[in-house]
Amino acid sequence: MSEYLQTVFDKFELRVRKGCSYSRDGIWVRVEDDAVRIGLSDYLQRTSGDVAFVETVKEGLSVEREAEIGNMETAKAVLSLSSPISGTVVSVNSLLSDKPELVNSDPYGEGWLAILKPRDLENDLKTLMSAEDYFDFMLGMLRGGQGKLGSG
Amino acid sequence: MQLSEKKVGIISCRGEGCVEGTISRVATRLVLEKLPEKTVTICLPLFLAGGKEERAFARDYPTITVDGCEKLCAKIGTERYSGKPASSIVVTELARNWHCSKLNSRRKLDADSVAVAEKVAERIAEEVDEVLDRWR
Amino acid sequence: MERTEQEKIIVIPCSGIGKAFGSIAREATYELTENLRSKTTGTVCLALLVSGDEESLNLVRENKCITVDGCPLQCAEKNVRLAGGNFAGSFRVVDAFKENRHLKPKSVTFLDDDGQRLAKVLAEKMASKVDELLGGES
Repeated sequence: MSEYLQTVFDKFELRVRKGCSYSRDGIWVRVEDDAVRIGLSDYLQRTSGDVAFVETVKEGLSVEREAEIGNMETAKAVLSLSSPISGTVVSVNSLLSDKPELVNSDPYGEGWLAILKPRDLENDLKTLMSAEDYFDFMLGMLRGGQGKLGSG
Repeated sequence: MQLSEKKVGIISCRGEGCVEGTISRVATRLVLEKLPEKTVTICLPLFLAGGKEERAFARDYPTITVDGCEKLCAKIGTERYSGKPASSIVVTELARNWHCSKLNSRRKLDADSVAVAEKVAERIAEEVDEVLDRWR
Repeated sequence: MERTEQEKIIVIPCSGIGKAFGSIAREATYELTENLRSKTTGTVCLALLVSGDEESLNLVRENKCITVDGCPLQCAEKNVRLAGGNFAGSFRVVDAFKENRHLKPKSVTFLDDDGQRLAKVLAEKMASKVDELLGGES
């Protein structure tokens, strides 16, 4: 069984990874023991364009839910990235400084953004969508024409 | 699950070597900007290099190829990797039929060449509508 | 496609149609081959290579080639290597963008001022590479 929910829109294959929770902004959260890993959803990276720079807050910093945890620059725009949970940043993905394209090529794998030690995980997760709900949300955005997918 | 409404894939050459290649490219871009709800552009280099999404779309949806010259790179590539296009446009042929005087500057199209690109774009748009009508 | 009478470096852009960076790759190639190093460079259509055009294939096999790609998929580099071209170097528009963040090209069909400037910056880098490959001659 696939670990993704998938759809094809125009020529683009869009995937939502199961087992993660998602903010409306398109940041995924995956619980790993007592920490959480976060990154950009496939839909978010597609609509943002080819990533040229990723900057995150420093390790050790405490962030509130919905506060800026980083920003990302593509040829199209500079995007502020909001933390989907509150907690302390324990690790940021250092690969992204040399290879920001990992966000595009492997958004759920090597393109992860940061790892946080959560402060109030149970309540924060209640504010997020399940993979299935985010998938439906994404379909709604696609049908409504919001968010232009990058074309080749 | 396939979400898209019916759309036509436009596969254009973008031959750097000649003005007609640039006209193909510009005309295709103009159509994409004018008819985003009816068209998808297929990136030819990515298509030829084995781009999974490009080839899958060209296999499952109708395509229109736009070539600058009679070498027909877009048309031949599409036939080889995905299937016969629903329609094929060749800029040199159109320019001859329209009795266009010598087209200049492959790099930055002059006013005459831009006018030809706009006419080619109109022709592509007509073909798009025709292909979509046949498909329904 | 230009014929060669002396050693030339062949420059192959991806010319991707969906993104501004594809247009910039194309424009940088023109700036290099028509302006900066017109005597020592030439270009060839990527599609002709892949479709097996013999003249194009001979050109890339008999001369050193550099590729210019508009996105990380690097179609120009991949296709030149697959064609057995004499691959001698590659450039990515995004790398020039990283060094010139103030330039924000927006339009794809007709390059805007920032797009033109970024193309010129990239072309100058490519010109240095051409000089290096030709042993310092330009």
